[in-house]
Amino acid sequence: MLIQDFLLGSCRKNPDAEALVSGTFRATYADVTDAALSLAASLVAEGLQPGDRVAVLTDVPFDYIVSYFGTLLAGGVFVGLNTQTSSRTLKQLLSDCGASIVVTHRKFLKYFESMADGVPSLICVVIAGGGTVVGVSNRIFAGLIAKRNDNIALLPTREPANLAQIIYTSGTTGTPKGVMLSHTNLVVNTHSTLQYLGLTGSDRVMVVLPFFYSYGNSVLLTHIAVGGALIVNQSMMYPTVILDQMQTERVTGFSGVPSTFALLLKRTAIRDSPLPQLRYVTQAGGWMSPSLTRELIAALPEVAIHVMYGQTEAAPRLSSLDPADLQRKAGSIGKAIPGVTLKVLTPTGAAVKPGETGELAAKGENVMIGYWGQPQATAEVLRDGWLWTGDLVTADEEGYLYIAGRQSDMIKSGAHRIAPKEIEDVLLEHDAVFEVAVIGVDDEILGESLQACVVLKEAGSCQAEELLRHCQQILPHYKVPHSIMFFDELPKTESGKIRKTELMAGILSLQEDP
Amino acid sequence: MQNYATQIKAFIIENFLFNAEGSSLGDDESFLENGIIDSTGILEVVAWIEETFGIRVPDSDLLPENFDTVQRLTTYLQRNADKHGVPAG
Repeated sequence: MLIQDFLLGSCRKNPDAEALVSGTFRATYADVTDAALSLAASLVAEGLQPGDRVAVLTDVPFDYIVSYFGTLLAGGVFVGLNTQTSSRTLKQLLSDCGASIVVTHRKFLKYFESMADGVPSLICVVIAGGGTVVGVSNRIFAGLIAKRNDNIALLPTREPANLAQIIYTSGTTGTPKGVMLSHTNLVVNTHSTLQYLGLTGSDRVMVVLPFFYSYGNSVLLTHIAVGGALIVNQSMMYPTVILDQMQTERVTGFSGVPSTFALLLKRTAIRDSPLPQLRYVTQAGGWMSPSLTRELIAALPEVAIHVMYGQTEAAPRLSSLDPADLQRKAGSIGKAIPGVTLKVLTPTGAAVKPGETGELAAKGENVMIGYWGQPQATAEVLRDGWLWTGDLVTADEEGYLYIAGRQSDMIKSGAHRIAPKEIEDVLLEHDAVFEVAVIGVDDEILGESLQACVVLKEAGSCQAEELLRHCQQILPHYKVPHSIMFFDELPKTESGKIRKTELMAGILSLQEDP
Repeated sequence: MQNYATQIKAFIIENFLFNAEGSSLGDDESFLENGIIDSTGILEVVAWIEETFGIRVPDSDLLPENFDTVQRLTTYLQRNADKHGVPAG
């Protein structure tokens, strides 16, 4: 089975069923499928060969979904890009994946300036909403999806083991890693997730998560697979708008990360807003505090709350906590989902005893092919037939898993995983900066906020605002530090490594006792 | 009104654009659509308004029609001032 069979199957079953609601725009399964088939034929006509990468940079849900399935139907490999980007990041990612075609929207064209000669693999840029990119051939998105094509037999065939999608994640070194997922990886993980969530074609999910991350990608695939409806509004800036939409659209499901729930619970009247159709909520994308979980249970007492864990490298789901165990096993990420085997291991691969901490390792058909163009990074995490997640966990006597920490210093801020090194490198590019450490400090909404601790070459030679402006010119918005503190020196180990834990403790004590 | 708009623009430019793109912030430019402010940034705006103008922003007021452009925010503050007799700016 291929991923696109989810869409084609749901369309065959009920072509007039609602697939997507985005603002006032509504599309049926027939609308999405027709557009995807037309786009596929157009991409092939443009010269796309099987296995070629199509990068998509858009926040228009219909365009994103049509491009996703259109790319796969054309035999291509889909690369969904984070819309919070910068010219440097975009060029880096397009070059890394060797994109042949980019699908984007007018509002993102500013990132393409001075890029045309920098990505030699590019055949053309497909643009929605008008505008042009200089130095490469341009096509109009509306034109490519309007060319009717019913003959799927004319499109290239692919095998389930073939690469289907690359999802970029922040590598610990600050260099993005392209996670290669096959059709099989995504199909089996979608089926496993459907099993424990019990989704049907009657489900209508409120989508606030971006599709370009693996969690949002999973929400997309699971609901398309069952022929459900996606109610898409991918911003939590105005949480009351989301809550209103959940009511008016009579949603049955909602998926969020901890910061999503913090915003809903702290900035809306969710406790006084009846949501009689809502039957399930999923939470993943980072550890949620037991107090926030308790608040969520109190606000939605009739709703099945599924706490889940996974990572992009596993397409993405690995474990889930049954809603019935939510109170009894508070703070747990549950047990392996169907089709996945999980073990808690020592660095040498021996199993640890219940209660002891070890690294979580996973096995299953959902585990990625590897990192795009990075065999060494792949070999570090895919060892002896296992995916070594880098997450430290303990298991209790009943086998329920609990996250104990991470081996790397990656920061989880909102829905984003951020490598401090990438931000540190950018700050070090500034002439005034001598050394820097970026750490995550506790934040009620975001989970962690970004704190840059800076030592200047010459004290007082530069203000925080100038450094923030420097970061903003180079980094996507979500990677710009939330605050900058200046230090005379940073605490270090004997070998010269910055002691981030000590730094963090010092900042915490400053916050508590200003 | 002008005073509100000037203060709002100065705050947004200083805190979200870091004085780099100030000249491009139009009165009708959507904070959300243009990625100027995100879900946590808007809470900073709310905190600033509450502190600077001495009003309480109820969660139910946190809507695009009140907050999503300099112009809308200006109208919102003016409406509050009229209602509570707070002097403009």
